[in-house]
Amino acid sequence: MDAKYLALVQMAVGGGVMGMAYALVAYGFQLTYAAGKAVNFGQGELVMLGAFAGITLTGIGLPYWAVVPGAMVIGALLGWFIERVAVRLALKQRNEGWILLTIIVGLFALSSVENIWGREDRPFPVPWPAEALDFFGISFTWSELAIVVGALGMMTLVELAKRYTMAGIAVQAVSADPDAAELCGIRSQSAISLSWAVSGAAAAFAGTVIGPVTTVGPTMAAALTLKAFSVAVVAGLDSGFGLVIAGVALGAAENLSGYALGSGWREAPGLILLILALALRPQGVFGKKIIRKV
Amino acid sequence: MFAAIDLGLRENTAERIVRIALFIGLAALPGLWHGQYALGLLTLMAVYGVLLIGLDATVGYLGQVNLAQAALFGLGAYGSALAVQAGAPLPLALLAGIAAAVLPGAALAIPALRLEGPQFALSTLSFATLSVIFLNESESVTNGALGLSIVRPSLFTMSLDARGFYWLCLVVLFIAWWASQTMLKSRFGLSIEALRDSPTATDALGIGTLRHKALAFAWGSSLAGLAGGLHAMNFGYLQPAAFGYDLMVMLLLGVVFGGRRSQWGAFAGAAVVAMLPNLLSNRTLFFGLISFGCMLTLVSPIRALISRRVPSFREVAPAGAMAVAFGLAFMAANLEEWRKGIFALFLFAAVVGLPDGLAGAFVTTLQKIIRFKPDPLPPATGGISSIEMSVGSALIASNLSKSFGGVRAVDNVSLEIGKGETLGLIGPNGSGKTTFINLISGLYVPDGGSVEIAGKRPAPGSLMSASAAGGARTFQNLQPFSGLSALESILVCQCDGGKSEAMGLLRAVGLEDKARLRCSDMSYGDLRFLEIARALAIKPRLLMLDEPAAGMSKPDIVRLVTLIASIKKAGLSILLIEHHQDVVAELCDRVAVMDGGRLIALGTPDKVRHDPKVIEAYLGAEDVEALVKCEMEPKSC
Repeated sequence: MDAKYLALVQMAVGGGVMGMAYALVAYGFQLTYAAGKAVNFGQGELVMLGAFAGITLTGIGLPYWAVVPGAMVIGALLGWFIERVAVRLALKQRNEGWILLTIIVGLFALSSVENIWGREDRPFPVPWPAEALDFFGISFTWSELAIVVGALGMMTLVELAKRYTMAGIAVQAVSADPDAAELCGIRSQSAISLSWAVSGAAAAFAGTVIGPVTTVGPTMAAALTLKAFSVAVVAGLDSGFGLVIAGVALGAAENLSGYALGSGWREAPGLILLILALALRPQGVFGKKIIRKV
Repeated sequence: MFAAIDLGLRENTAERIVRIALFIGLAALPGLWHGQYALGLLTLMAVYGVLLIGLDATVGYLGQVNLAQAALFGLGAYGSALAVQAGAPLPLALLAGIAAAVLPGAALAIPALRLEGPQFALSTLSFATLSVIFLNESESVTNGALGLSIVRPSLFTMSLDARGFYWLCLVVLFIAWWASQTMLKSRFGLSIEALRDSPTATDALGIGTLRHKALAFAWGSSLAGLAGGLHAMNFGYLQPAAFGYDLMVMLLLGVVFGGRRSQWGAFAGAAVVAMLPNLLSNRTLFFGLISFGCMLTLVSPIRALISRRVPSFREVAPAGAMAVAFGLAFMAANLEEWRKGIFALFLFAAVVGLPDGLAGAFVTTLQKIIRFKPDPLPPATGGISSIEMSVGSALIASNLSKSFGGVRAVDNVSLEIGKGETLGLIGPNGSGKTTFINLISGLYVPDGGSVEIAGKRPAPGSLMSASAAGGARTFQNLQPFSGLSALESILVCQCDGGKSEAMGLLRAVGLEDKARLRCSDMSYGDLRFLEIARALAIKPRLLMLDEPAAGMSKPDIVRLVTLIASIKKAGLSILLIEHHQDVVAELCDRVAVMDGGRLIALGTPDKVRHDPKVIEAYLGAEDVEALVKCEMEPKSC
C-alpha cells in the first residue's frame, strides 16, 4: 500500500479510537437524558475523577482488576450525589437550572482535583505492555484496544440490562412517562437515581480506559465534556448505538483535518459539520423525529 | 407579620429613582476611592454589566442557554481593536466592534434559532469554539496567540484618562440598561415571554416566534460587541484564550447569580464576576463575607426547626454549601488556589436558595415591605368585532389527508364554511378532529389537499401564514402564556388597538376583573375563556375552537354558549370541535361528523343526529337499529 495513504488510514484509526472514547462518555449523557430529560454538564469532571480515583487506588496497592470496579463504584456514588444535590430540585421545578447546577458541581470538582491531586498530568498505570500491535501495517497500542473493547462492552452490557432486567425495564417506563410509571408502582425517583448512578459508573470507567492513552490531568475534563456532548447531541439523545458512528466520525475527522489544515484548525471542520447537522436534523442524525401535539 | 409601608409610588417610578441614584453614586466613586486598581475594577464591572445585560436577553428572556456570548465579546473586542489600529475614531471603533459581533452572530442565528434546549446550547458552544480557533489561527490579522496591543483612541478631541474612560463606560452601561429595559417591557418583551411559554401558541396567533428570537439574539450580540469594544480600549491588550469556555461559564453563572430577566440582576452578576478574584485575596474581607453568607443561609433551616418541621433540601443545602466554604477558608493554606471551588460553593448556595437570583430575592422582599401603587387600568372599550370579508367562504378545505406512520389520521376530507356560519365538527375520540384543525391552522403539513382561509392560501405547515390569512385557534390542551397577566396575554396578540380595546375583549369573555392576574394563577375554566379572547384579539376571519368546553363546569358552559353565540352574532365564522352535544346543537348551523379520519356525515344538527352512520360511529353497529327506533318513537324504549 502507498505509504501516504497508509499514514492517512493510521490517522483516521487513531482518531476513530478517540471517537470511541467520546462515544463512551456521550453514552453517559444518553442514560441520564432518557431518565429525566437532564444531562450532566460536569460529565467530563466525572471522567477525570474516575481516572484519578483509579490512580489513587493503584497507588494503595490494589491490582488492576480491582481498580476498575473500585473507580466505577466511586463514579456511581458521585453520579448519584450529583442527581441528589443538583438535578432533582431543578427537575421538580421544571426549569433549566439543572444545567447551571451541574456546571457548578463540575467546577467544584475541578477545583478539588487541582488542590488534591495537583495540576500536572499523570500517567495511568496499566498491566499490559506499552509496545504497539501491528495490523496490516496499521499500528495501535493495547491501551487503544482497551478503549474500543471497553466502550463497546460497557454500552452492550448496559443496553442488555436495560432490556432484560426488571430495573432496566422500569427505567425505560419512567423515561416514557414518569407519572404513569409511578401509578404502576415504579418509584420514578429511584429509577432516575439509578440512571445517574449508572451514568456515573460509565463515566468513571471511561476515565480508567481513556487515562492510559491521554494521561490524566485537570485539563481533560472540559474538552471531554464538550466533545462527548457534541457526539451525544449530533447522534441524537435517544440514538443508542448511533453514538458510536457519530463518535468515530468526529474523531477521525478531527485527526484528518488536523493533518490537512494544521493542528490549530483540527476541530474546525467537525464543528461546522456539527452546526449543519443540527440545522438539518435537530433531533440528531440517528434520533427519532418528534411530532408536535397540541 | 407587620404592615407594609404605603409609599404611594408606582413600582417603576421607584425603580427609576433608585437606578439614577446608583449611577450618580457610581460616577462619584472615583472621587472618594482613589487608586488606579480600584478604578480598573469599576471599569471592568461596567463593561461586564453591558455584556451580561446582553446575555440576559437570551439566557433570561428567551430561556435558552447561550454559550456564545463570551466569543461574541471577543469578536467585538478584536473588531474594534483592529478598527483602532486602522485609525478609526472611538465611536466608529465601537460600531466596528458591534458589527464584528453581530454579523457572525447572524450567521449562527440562522441555524441555531430553530433549535431548543441542549441542541441550542451545543450550536452556540460550537460557534464559540470556532471563533476562538479563528482568532488564534488568523495570525496575519489578529496576531494569534501572541496577542494584539492597541492605544486607547481619544473621544473626538478629548483624550480620555482612566477616569474619563470609566465615565464613558458608565454612560454606555446606562444607555444599554435603559434601552434593554424599555425594549423588554414593551410588546416586544411580552412576545418573548409568551414564546418562552408556548412557541406553538405565539406562532398560531401570528406573533412570530422566530422573528422575536432573532431580534433578542441580535440585541444580545450587539451588546456583546459593544462591551467587547470597551474592553479592548480598557485593557489595550487582547488574547484569544481569554474569551474561551472559562469566561463563558463565569458569565453564565453571573447572570444566574444576579437574577435572570432583570437588568439589576445582570448588573449585580457583573459586579460579582468582576470583584470576586479580588475578594479572595483579602482574607479579612473574605471572612466577613463568608460569615455573613453562613448566617444568611442559616435563617431558613432555623425557621423551619422553630415551626417544628424537618427542613427541606432546599432550606438545608445552601447552609451546607456555606459550611463547606467556611471549612475550606480555615483549612486551605492558600485561598487563591481554591478560587473556583469557593466560587462554585457560593453559586450553589445562591442558585438553590435564591432561584430568582439576588435581584429577584431583593425585589420579592421589597414588595413585602413596601406597598406600591399599581399601574392604572384603562376603561374597557369595544368588544367583539368582525371584519368585512369580500369573499364568500371563510374556509375551503379540499381533499385534506395526513398520515402518521400507518395511521391515516385525516383521510381525504373536504369541508367548506360559509361567511358567518358556525360549523360543528364532532366525532369519537381519535377520529381526526384535532388533526384536521392542526392541518388548517398550519401546525402540520398536509400529505395532500389544500386549504383556503378567507380567500387566501396559506403556506402549508406554517402557523404564521395561516394566522396571517385570518385563521385563529384555541388549543384542546391549554397553551397559556404562564408568565403574563391576562391583560398582557391579550396585548401581545393584538395587531392594533391599545389597552382599552384589550380590556374590552376581556370584558366580552367575562375576565375584566381578572386583568392583572397572572395566567399561572388562573383557573382552568378562566384560561379557556382567555384563549378565546386571545384568538379574537388577532381579529380573525375564521375562529377555530378545539373543545372549548372540555373540563368546564356547568355554569361555565352556560357562559361559554352565550359567548360563542355573541361571537356568532358579530358575524364571525366559527369551526367548533365539541363533545357536548347540547352545545353543538344549540350553536351550530351545520354539523360535520368524522370517524376514523373520514367525513361520514354533514348536515343540520337534527339531520346528523338521526344519521345511522353517526350513531354507529358513536355506539357500535349492533345498537344502531334499536337506537334509531328509540329516537323515532321514544315511547317504545
